[in-house]
Amino acid sequence: MLVALSGCSGETSPQNKLIVTGSTTIQPIAEVAAEEFHAAHPLDDVLVSGVGSSAGIENVSSGTSDIGTSSREINDEELKLGLVDSPIAYDAIAVIVNPSNPVSSLSKAQIKQIFQGKITNWSDVGGPDLAIGLVNRDEASGTREAFDKIVLDKERFDPTAVILPGTGQVRSVVAQEPRAIGYISLGFVTDDVKALAIDGIEPSEATVVSGTYPVQRVLHLFTKGAPTGLAKEFIDFVLSAKVQDSVVRDAGFIPIGAKEAHGG
Amino acid sequence: MADERRPGDMPLVSDDVSGLKLVSRSTYVKEAALKNLFLLCAFVAVAGVGLIFVFVGYRGWPIFSEVGLWKFLLGTEWLPTSGLFGILPLFVGSIVVTLGALLLGTPLAVGAAVFLSEIAPPKVRAIVRPAIELLAGVPSVVYGFFGLLILRPIVAQLTGGLGFGPLTAWIILAIMIVPTIATLTEDALRSIPDGVREASYAMGATTWQTISRVLLPAAKIGIVDAVVLGMGRAIGETMAVLMVVGNAPGFFRGAGAPISTLTSQIVMDMPYASGMHRTALFGMAIILFLISMGLVFTVRVLSRMREEPS
Repeated sequence: MLVALSGCSGETSPQNKLIVTGSTTIQPIAEVAAEEFHAAHPLDDVLVSGVGSSAGIENVSSGTSDIGTSSREINDEELKLGLVDSPIAYDAIAVIVNPSNPVSSLSKAQIKQIFQGKITNWSDVGGPDLAIGLVNRDEASGTREAFDKIVLDKERFDPTAVILPGTGQVRSVVAQEPRAIGYISLGFVTDDVKALAIDGIEPSEATVVSGTYPVQRVLHLFTKGAPTGLAKEFIDFVLSAKVQDSVVRDAGFIPIGAKEAHGG
Repeated sequence: MADERRPGDMPLVSDDVSGLKLVSRSTYVKEAALKNLFLLCAFVAVAGVGLIFVFVGYRGWPIFSEVGLWKFLLGTEWLPTSGLFGILPLFVGSIVVTLGALLLGTPLAVGAAVFLSEIAPPKVRAIVRPAIELLAGVPSVVYGFFGLLILRPIVAQLTGGLGFGPLTAWIILAIMIVPTIATLTEDALRSIPDGVREASYAMGATTWQTISRVLLPAAKIGIVDAVVLGMGRAIGETMAVLMVVGNAPGFFRGAGAPISTLTSQIVMDMPYASGMHRTALFGMAIILFLISMGLVFTVRVLSRMREEPS
């Protein structure tokens, strides 16, 4: 595969290869960053593959990848393998409702019960007497995976909820339907929908980087030992202002550098 | 094929290459090459179907041998990440969506066909017929988009849900199968000799009586044929259904509650499925393949009945 790829590029055949595998959530960042990195350094090629966070951590530990991407923290056992963490972005999820919905704050426990189908009417959480219309994401979605883990504690979603295959679709349905509730990456929230405060904390970049907004996680790049050579160059590139402000934001995430901006 | 010729047939140039000795060698070579080219075309089509069947069968077979045919077909829960591969709700979903679409679409399509064949003046026909044919050329994702943006809010108002569910899919699919059923029904009506119509009118029948008592019964098999092909289109439709049906892999619970179908579930799961989950998707493809084989077979039998009326 590698041979075939390099064979096609002819005279400008890249000499150095960096293999990046792991989280499908980070895939959109890694892919675009890899393209731009290759454009800036034609001799270096970054091969990106989304295989899941755990596989990424395993690959970098065993040496089959140079960088492992992960949307979860590493556990104690993995910590002993000498992995070094380079956090690259925050992934925060907003729970959204229609702007006409008077409910503007829910507890994490209430949201969990709503998405499990245990609370089925807005009047149970201080809203109008209207059946709740659940909008869920498909299982391939990194947002669903994160929401499932952080809010539902990996318990089962209400199986009768509508499942939509994209952030834009979830947002447009919630924007149109007064009874709807859904969740999307914080970076994709617009004025068409209302993002709920959770446990009294408004979702914003400031509350995410300060760590008070509960539905968030950090996206990581792991290397075995401190990053060196091409791996270090690539990580520095991902952390550069250019990638953080364009690629990371375009993918709906919050730049890791936002911490300094918000005085964290 | 030359050996299928019967003694009474007219001699055909392309039929028997050896009969071409009197023409020039280049013509002979050209004829032989064309004959083989067309043979190759036919072979590629057959080989394509054969290869797909073998491939899908090979990849999907383990779901029957390892999960078990009945657990797969009659299992009531589709929870692939927890190892539950029951496709019964999805199968029921496909059937519900298809039957509803046929119930809505068939009267519409047959009515349009009767209008085109029996009532419309040539000028009107020249506008309506291409319009119906154009419906067949609209990409299914456009139908889905229309359903999502225009129909869904209306259905949401009617049913009190979010508007995703069978009702929206029924309406969209009913429109999508109109061209298939209408054009084939029109062909069936037009193939009835004018003498039949004249006889009916001569006996004092009105236009409505002629249509309902004479023409529609005479075109019966052709119409059923058209409906079966429309059914094939509806059950195989993926993109438009995926966008409006809600994709919740549970049993049918009403016209406004989200469900899922075999085809839409395959598309939803394909990007991330691995291992036995992926095998299960191929298993679903086998089921779809068998359904469409059954439909094609039905059409063949019906066509034969039409050609040889007893």
